[in-house]
Amino acid sequence: MLSFKKDKKPSTAKFKLSYIAMLIVLVLLAISALPNLYPNKSWLHISAAPHSEMQSLPSTKTLVTFLNNQGLEVKQGLDKQSTINVLLNEPTKSAQAQAAIKAQYPNTQVKIVEHATSPTWLQDFGLSPIKLGLDLNGGVLFVLDVDLDKAVDEQLVSAYLQAKSIIIKQKAHGVKAQQTQHGFEINALPNATDKLTPVIEELQSRFANLAVVTSNNGSVKTAKFSYSEQGRSSFDKEVMGQTLTTLRSRIEELGITEAVTQRQGKHRIRIELPGVQDPTEAKRIIGATASLGFYQLKEIGGQTFNMQSGGTIKLDPVPIFTGDHINNATIGRDDWGKPLVQLSLDGQGGNAMSAFSKANIGKPMATVYSEYSQNAKGEVVKKSEVINVANIAQHLSSRFSITNMKSQQAAADLALLLRAGSLTAPVTIVHEQTIGPSLGSENISNGLAALMLGMGITLAFMALWYRRLGLIANVALILNLTSLVGLMSLLPGVVLTLPGIAGLVLTIGMAVDTNVIIFERIKEERRQGRAPYQAIQEGYKQAANTIFDANITTMITALILYGIGYGPVKGFAITLALGLLTSVFTGVYVSKILSQTLYLKMGKKAGVKVHA
Amino acid sequence: MLNYFLKGEVGTRLRFMGMLLSAMLVLLSVFTLTQKGLNFGLDFTGGYLTEFTTSQSVELKELQSFIAKNHNGEFELTAQGNSHFQLREAPSASTTANSLDWQSAVTQNDDINAQVLSSAYIGSQVGDELFDQGCLAMFAAMIAVMIYLAVRFEWRLALGSVVALVHDLILVLGLFSLLQIEFNLTVLASLLAIIGYSLNDSIIVGDRVRELLRVKSNNVLSSATIINNAIKSTLTRTLITSGTTLATVASVWLLAGAPLQGFAIALFTGIVVGTFSSICIAATLPELLGLSAKNYEVKVDAHTQTLLDMP
Repeated sequence: MLSFKKDKKPSTAKFKLSYIAMLIVLVLLAISALPNLYPNKSWLHISAAPHSEMQSLPSTKTLVTFLNNQGLEVKQGLDKQSTINVLLNEPTKSAQAQAAIKAQYPNTQVKIVEHATSPTWLQDFGLSPIKLGLDLNGGVLFVLDVDLDKAVDEQLVSAYLQAKSIIIKQKAHGVKAQQTQHGFEINALPNATDKLTPVIEELQSRFANLAVVTSNNGSVKTAKFSYSEQGRSSFDKEVMGQTLTTLRSRIEELGITEAVTQRQGKHRIRIELPGVQDPTEAKRIIGATASLGFYQLKEIGGQTFNMQSGGTIKLDPVPIFTGDHINNATIGRDDWGKPLVQLSLDGQGGNAMSAFSKANIGKPMATVYSEYSQNAKGEVVKKSEVINVANIAQHLSSRFSITNMKSQQAAADLALLLRAGSLTAPVTIVHEQTIGPSLGSENISNGLAALMLGMGITLAFMALWYRRLGLIANVALILNLTSLVGLMSLLPGVVLTLPGIAGLVLTIGMAVDTNVIIFERIKEERRQGRAPYQAIQEGYKQAANTIFDANITTMITALILYGIGYGPVKGFAITLALGLLTSVFTGVYVSKILSQTLYLKMGKKAGVKVHA
Repeated sequence: MLNYFLKGEVGTRLRFMGMLLSAMLVLLSVFTLTQKGLNFGLDFTGGYLTEFTTSQSVELKELQSFIAKNHNGEFELTAQGNSHFQLREAPSASTTANSLDWQSAVTQNDDINAQVLSSAYIGSQVGDELFDQGCLAMFAAMIAVMIYLAVRFEWRLALGSVVALVHDLILVLGLFSLLQIEFNLTVLASLLAIIGYSLNDSIIVGDRVRELLRVKSNNVLSSATIINNAIKSTLTRTLITSGTTLATVASVWLLAGAPLQGFAIALFTGIVVGTFSSICIAATLPELLGLSAKNYEVKVDAHTQTLLDMP
């Protein structure tokens, strides 16, 4: 991106073109920085819970009086047809208000949503302020450890059990499955070696990630099953993906729109819940376990279940089979190109399905997704939802498809839920942190104070030491800070943390370095008897290499820090790296044009002598 | 060697003294590091950390004995201010019994009336991993930077810069060990920033040394004089940049509050010793290793030489 071009003759055309390009970049970055003057405000969005009647929503007036009585003063309450939007005097108390409303009106859904306060034309450009990290915003952080080893072990045990049932089903006499230290093996006696291959093939079609090694041990043929490195890594990836998606959908229930759920390293998941003050509810929901069941529909009697798409349905309370019998669920397309979900069941599930479908061809079957979690009192609560209803078209066995899916996305979602019900890796919390909102806002004001002081000292020093050139450096410095803030607001995934603010302050201190190197060089050139304009040209030219060298090492360390760091440290690395880019840009290019203009144009006009 | 330096110019003598001082400081740092070790923070050890404020100022000792009554495990209480405290517990402390007891005791006591600002739990396994990752990052950064320097500079100048860099890191670690300041993740981040900044100074001096060595008319000058000249011509820049950076770091130290204290202290020391070492080590060591203008002459093989000599 950066290149140092030597232009020997300052041709006016070239000069003007680069001038315009630079101006455009600066203006664009300055506009991107603008929304930071209008910090976001957290509003409460209150709506009726999905399965309840509309009447359960209190009127705006009752709600406002209720909140005011709780000591949570309301600044603004808006009635928006199906939702009520509320802004508190102290938005940091939104989480407290959310809990209070939920306790008072259990049939409502309360979400905390960030509202931009910047002018609409800025929002129309899609510009928003820099995202703040947890240490500035307040909130809860969880790092979860996903026990992948245990998930693999369980999968191997399940494969072993299925191998046994396949052997029985195929009537493969003389073939025997046996558990070993790293998996299991199937042995075939000399007279049964031909029966081994179909068993292996069947097993591999169910567990694609398993690797097989066959060997002849004397007269006995042995097939060893285990996870190859490749199979293991794709299995790990699958498990992590499932766990992440399950967690994301659970966190959505908490009503936090700005939550961050991401993979951290090989087997960790990082969850950031800004605004949340009490980690217990979040902990409860994160630690929930999921299960899946297939049920028969009942017209008379039966148990009432909620449908995911809204409404209710009556089902036989005893499931046909449950999710632990699902081996795999993948998406595919039928002969007409419509999306479908392919399921493969284990022996027991297959038998149950076979018996049920034979007697119920043409009748519907419902898929129910349930989650067990602890409530506030520590009791285990089950929450069930019907995610799909499908007609049985024919006599089915252990492999069948759910067809007639609405879209590819719907099919993918269902496949994921089906897999999530079949395979869950145990999850433990290894890092938990709560940062109070007062600490967060204190961190912001402290950080800003440090920024102001550091900036003030630097500006004052440069103006006093270098006089006129110092003013150029100061203009460059202010443009640098604006560009940096603009760049940080513009780039997705950049989060400002407290160490990030320190990085910002540091960038200010270091940014003058570029100008100091150049100015010292110019002074030297002047001492050697060059004319002012030439001295400036030479100074910038000679200093360019040095500046490049000096900044690249810091860039290397910043990139390494970005690569390995998490959370606050990553925030520091980002500001450091972006700060280097903007300071080279403003310090070398912008200030060069500024000083050329100042000395060339003004020098010519007034004929003033330049003391650099 | 001693004579060589003592006979030289004032600048050379000063550089030599500085190097001796640096060597002594490094020895001292290594000594404290081996004797006292580092005071690792929660990030690396794992455990529970609770930060809280009290409604009025409380004596640390009083609070200590009050909590001890309501806490059946080991804990460490530190004061961040008159009414601002931190309590640290080992990762083995059980979540339910120990930590909740004392917390409700301090929040419900009318004299103390504590308010919990933040709480953190880090599993000991995570702490170990972070430590390993931190060490890995340091080595990766050093190696990447060394490769860059080796390509960019002559080996003597590159080695000088790297030795200066290691010196800076050891001195900062030594200070943290001597004063037993908490060593946490942000301090580690600042060490990586120091790697970048320490080299910055060394590179700028090195760049100038290289430039002066390449100038033909300087062939008559000794390398000591050339290095002195290079330092002289970059000294203003080094002092101004270090000065403004120190001023900004100091403002972080003063105003940004407790979470960034260690970070600011590490950077402040790092910049001071980095500036010092860029002159006394990074520029002096290459001289001891025999750096001369010859290293920068364009190499001409015999064949081209005869071609050039032809009339």
